[in-house]
This record gives sequence, C-alpha cells and structure tokens, in this order.
Amino acid sequence: MTAAAATARPARPAAPARHLEIAPSRAQRRARPRLAVALGTMTGIVVILLAQLGLSIAVADGAYRISSLQLQERDLGRQGEALAEQLESLQSPQFLARSAEALGMVASGSLPYIDLATGEITGKSTRSGGSILGRDGGLVANITIEGVQTVQPQAAQDAQAAEQQQEEAAAEGSRLAPGLHVVGDPGAPQSEGAGSDVSSGPGTLASPVTR
Amino acid sequence: MIDPRGTRRRLALTVVMVFAILAVFAVRLVDIQVVRAGELAAGAAEHRTRDVVVYGTRGSIVDHDGVVLADSVQRFDITASPVNVPFGATTDMRRDGEWVQVPTSDAIAAIAALTGQDPAALTAVLTDALAEDPEANFAYLVRKVTLDVFEQVRALGIPWVYSELHPARSYPSGAVAGNLVGFLGTDEPLTGVELYMDECLAATNGRTVYEAGADGVALPGTAIAETEASDGGTVRLTIRSDLQWYVQQLLGQEGGRLGADWATAFVVRVADGHVMAAADWPSVDPNDFLAVPGDDRGARSFVSPYEPGSIMKPFTFASLVDAGEVDYGEQLRVPSEYTEGLPPGYRITDAWIHGEMRWTAAGVLAESSNIGTSMLSTRLSAAERRDYLTAFGFDQPTAVGFLGEDPGQLRELDELDPVTNVTQQFGQGMTATSAQIASAYQALGNHGVHVPLTLVEGCELPDGTVVAPEPSEGTRVVSQRAADETVRVMEQVVSRGALSSLVDFPGYRVAAKTGTAEVAENGQYGSQRIISVAGLVPADDPEYVVVVTIAKPDSMRVSAAVAPAFEAIVEQVIKTFRIEPSAQNSPKVPLTW
Repeated sequence: MTAAAATARPARPAAPARHLEIAPSRAQRRARPRLAVALGTMTGIVVILLAQLGLSIAVADGAYRISSLQLQERDLGRQGEALAEQLESLQSPQFLARSAEALGMVASGSLPYIDLATGEITGKSTRSGGSILGRDGGLVANITIEGVQTVQPQAAQDAQAAEQQQEEAAAEGSRLAPGLHVVGDPGAPQSEGAGSDVSSGPGTLASPVTR
Repeated sequence: MIDPRGTRRRLALTVVMVFAILAVFAVRLVDIQVVRAGELAAGAAEHRTRDVVVYGTRGSIVDHDGVVLADSVQRFDITASPVNVPFGATTDMRRDGEWVQVPTSDAIAAIAALTGQDPAALTAVLTDALAEDPEANFAYLVRKVTLDVFEQVRALGIPWVYSELHPARSYPSGAVAGNLVGFLGTDEPLTGVELYMDECLAATNGRTVYEAGADGVALPGTAIAETEASDGGTVRLTIRSDLQWYVQQLLGQEGGRLGADWATAFVVRVADGHVMAAADWPSVDPNDFLAVPGDDRGARSFVSPYEPGSIMKPFTFASLVDAGEVDYGEQLRVPSEYTEGLPPGYRITDAWIHGEMRWTAAGVLAESSNIGTSMLSTRLSAAERRDYLTAFGFDQPTAVGFLGEDPGQLRELDELDPVTNVTQQFGQGMTATSAQIASAYQALGNHGVHVPLTLVEGCELPDGTVVAPEPSEGTRVVSQRAADETVRVMEQVVSRGALSSLVDFPGYRVAAKTGTAEVAENGQYGSQRIISVAGLVPADDPEYVVVVTIAKPDSMRVSAAVAPAFEAIVEQVIKTFRIEPSAQNSPKVPLTW
C-alpha cells in the first residue's frame, strides 16, 4: 500500500459507528474492467460468430452451387456429345450419298483442266457418272443413320435462299453484283466495291463464288 | 415446520441420483468416444463418403481428314430396385410435368413405351429378380439407351428407377472401313485397329472420393481424394473415308453382280506407301458386327492370302530386267507349251491355245504368257528369284503390322519342287495378301524403291503430342530403268492389250496387269478363279496404285470381269486427287516381231 493510499480521511467528531473502506488505489481502479471494453469484446465475439456463420452459410451455399453447376456441366456435356454423335453420323459418306441421291444429284464425270499460263486445255470432260448409288442402292451399311430422313429438297432450297439473302444484304454495301466480276475492265465500276475484298490485279478474274 | 433432517435426506438423495445419472452418461461417453470411437467414426465416414468412378474417354479413330470412324459415346443403363416396386399398388410419377399417382403397371408401361420394350417383358425382369431373391435391390431394365431415352425416363421421376452411365462405342461411319477399324466386345477390343492400336486408344478410369450430405452435395471443406482419369489418344488413319466408301460401294455392286465370294480393293499412294482405301466386301458395320458371319468381320485384305496369279508377272520381269538377264526388246519364239525341267506328265500352258508365237519379252508380259514367263524366269537361280520377291515384300507381313496379318507364303528353297519353281513366278504355288500385292506395286510405281505400307498416320495424345511412325526412306528393289520399263509394258495392256476394249481413261495414261488365278481346293486346282487387276495411275509418273481382287465369281471367271470395277476406281482416284491429265499418249512398245 502506497503512502498516498494510506492517508486517512479527516476524522469527524459526531460519528459513533463509522464505516471504513479502503479506497482502491489508482492501479486497482485502472485494473477494474471497464464497461466499454467488456461491451466491445462481447460485440467483437458476436460479430466474429456472425461472420463465421455467414461464411459457413456462404460456403455451404457455394457447395450447392458447385454441385448444381457440375450437374449442369455434366448434362450440357452429355447433350453436346449426343449432338456431336448425331453430327458425325450425318457426316458419314453413306448419309451424304443418300441425301445427294435424294436431291437428284449425280456423280460428275472426269474434268478437263485449263493451264492458266498457256490457256491450254488438257484432259477431256466425260459424261456424268450417273447415279451415285446405282441401281442397288447403298450397299455400305450404317445402322446409325437408319431411319434418319435425308436432306429434303425443300430444306435445301430454303437454306440456299437464306444464303442468297444474306449475300445480297452483304453485296448491297459494295454495289457489285454477287458472283463473278471482272476487275480492271474499263466498263466496270472501278474500285467502287469498297466492301469487296477481292485484291486481284488488273485483268485477272476475281474468285468465283461457288456453292 | 420443516424437518431439517428430512430436508438433508432429500438433498442427499438428489445429489446421489444426479451423480448416478452423471456416471451413466460418463460411462456412455467413454464407450462412444473411446471404446467404440474408431468403429463408429468409420461407420459414419462410410455413410458420408461417396466413391465415384470417373470414366476416361477411349480415344477415337479418325480418317486422314478427321472424319470419325470410331468414337466413344455415353449410353445409360436403366436399372430398378425390384424390392421397392409396389406391385398391385400405385406409384408416384410425373406426367406432363405434374405429379400423379398411377397404378404401378401404368408406370412400367410408361417406361416400356420410352425404351421400346414390351411392358410384360419389363415386368418379368422385375418379378424374375424377386423370384430369385425376395430382397433383390437391383435389376437392369434396359441397357445402353441413348441420352434422349434416358432423359425421358428420368423425367418420369419414378422413385424405384435408377440409372448408370455406360460408356460405349459408336461407329458413325458404319461399315466405311469397318473391316479395318474393328470393334469392341463388352469392354475389350476384339479386332482391327481397335485392337492393334489399343495402347494408344485405351483410357484409364479415375475415381473421386468425397464426403457428402444426405442430398449428395459434397460437404465443404472435406478432403477430396481424386485420381484423375486419363483419356485415350486419337488414332489417325491414312484412309480417305469418301474414297473408301466409294470403293466399298463399288465392290458391293460388282461382287454381287458376279456372284463372288469376297472381294478386296486397295488404293495406295506411290510416294509414301500410304493406304488411301483398303476395302473388303462383304463389309461389316462395327455397330452391328453380329449381323455378318465371323469370316466377314475381319480385314481379308490383310489376313487372307490367296494365289494371286498373273498379277505377279511384272515382279518377275522387273527382277529379270534388273539382273540384266532380259531386255524387253528381246525376240522370243514361244512354243505352245512348256515342259523343260518338269516331271513327266506336267506341262505349263497359256490361258488360250496357240502355236509358236513370235513375241518380244515385252509381248510375253503384256500378253501374260505363262510359257514365255517360265522360259525367261529360269535364267535366274531359284535363290535369286526368291530374294527379289522377298525384297518386293512377299513372304512377310506388310509394315502395317495389322493384327493377324498373314505373311503369305513363298516355298523355302529346299521345299521347292520343279513345278512350283516355275509357277510361283506367275503367282501359282505361292500365296500373298491383297495388301502385299498393293505394297509390291507401290515399289514398281515408285521407280523401284519399296516404301513400307502405312495405314496408321499417328497417335495423337490428349495433350496434343503426336506419336507418328518414322517415315521410311524405303529400299531399292530393282533399278529405276527396270521398274519404269515394266510400267511402260503394263501400259500396253491398257492401251492395246487385254483391257483396251474394256476400259477407257480419256486423257490419262494408265498401266495395269490382269490376273486370273486358279484356286486350289483340297489339293487340286478346280474351276474356281480369283480374278484381279492391278494398276498404276498415271502411268507416265505413277502416283497411285489400284488393286482390285474378286474371289470365286460365279458368272464370269476371267479377269475381264474386274475391268469395270478397276476402271471406276481409277476414275474416282483421278477425280478425288485431281490427277493432272497426261501430256502424251502411251508410247508403243513392240510386242511381236
């Protein structure tokens, strides 16, 4: 006990039973928990607990999200694979031949060649090869395309029309007719085809549009 | 008044009881936490732990341009828990998006309608499983259905129906190259490229272990043990699937027209020995290989040797010219039969009866005279001739190394009888596969340099690395002069010989040799024939070998019957590969004098 703490209060004469109390020292006063600190600590704990709760809710929620996204990924992957599988079958030579035949296409004959340097034509064109499948029909089995409907003439026409429309829309900007055009011909509009990407030299033919 | 003693007693009793209960709890606690801790924890973990197989994807087989010939696909097994099927009661089911209670028989009928089965058969599956084991918890309703069917069944939401993933194999191009590609059995590859490139194609399954809640969602923060699945590599073949299809279609037409037993055709690129098409007829659709007899499921072109006949003659002549023993201009008097060195009673004749012919050596080859070939071939010793034929690739499997590939047969020198000694020079008494013939013609077209036959371009691993066989320099079999002159003589067969009236290639020079081989059955040559035409296009600088073989035709038993197929394939090859027309016409080589 320090000297200051031991200092007695001035005595009062008329007090028969005085209640004496040891005054707390400054250090003791300081050591006493303060309300603010207690409140702060409690709030801190509550906040931490709440944060933890929030985090675990978020993590659990994340787990469900991951799980559902994984399921979605799996299902989409499966769909993708199933579609790829269908596409692979539709790309098979059997299906192409059957569809071509159904559209009335025939095999081409042999082709003549033009030597661009000399203009000389080599080889002879022969008559068309006739039916692609022949009278026996498709003889190379493929059960993956069994019962699959061939490309229909109407569908082919629609696709062609759609393509043409697109092309016309694209050609409008260039003011050049789609197809083959001669660059360098004095009669033809010169370099007005800003949209055209044909960069042939004068006198040469632009690449023809083939389908 | 309160009796203080009574109060104390009650207090004591309460304390004793509290401690007794505490003691029971403590014992139980020790029992659970210490004595049975391991067992219980393991049980709990087992209950939470999900162990899932992660399937690796078996690699695909594609043609040169990436057209898929074999691919891994997902199929689903639909299973049920028979013990949980409420027979004679109702089942919850979703119909048009709404939950309804329907009689169980209706639920079974709904599944059957989607899987295309008979409802009675489905019911039988369930009742049979229950008959075997009244507690049966598992039965396959249908196996390997497509995603489409699986999703529709799943949408029914029937509680006792489950499903399993069933990785499967699909061959989207069907029978195109089906005999080469091969197929898988239940799980294992059975034949073809599937089997012999299995090392590249095979995938390893992985597994994931994680802890999950009751709804199957992984518990956050639980340990996940993962063994990654590794996918198989992609095998790229040298095959061009469109050409392959064309050749198979054609073989089907021609084989059927001639009433043949089987047919094969090869298109091989001369420069590097790559196989552009290798067709077998009858062909097999690997999706449905049980539909054809066992003999037709493999690749006859690689595994079935036969006596090739006269299409062997160009190799004999190229050897003789290379050795300097024969000049194509040499003038010969070819008699009506050949008996020299043969045992009494044996004689070698030509396909048609003739008196003494004044042929040049070129004439002997172009007219396919067995007598003339026999006269000339004995100028080389049997050992020298055997060496030449071996260098052309006979008596050994081709470099393709197709599984079960047959090496063909040339007799050993000490087993060589006087007749076979001569006849094997025109393809009788020896055997070869179509692949060997095609490979040998490659050497003739390649100016005498034999390059190993190649069917597999490489194996592309999932990480992008490509394992490709080393391109071979090739080995010289005969001199360029010997090879080129032989091709020139073969051109005469097309331009003015046996094939001239049967085939026409406007603008192109084509070299070819025909073969009509007798087929030995039960040790005797009978009336059956194996007919073939082998050729090179364009003849002025060969780019492609075309070999067509048709076995045991009923209607026409001469090589002329193969001409239409040969012509069509050569034309298709010209169109497919845009072969330039020949600048000049075929030069004339004197055949007679």
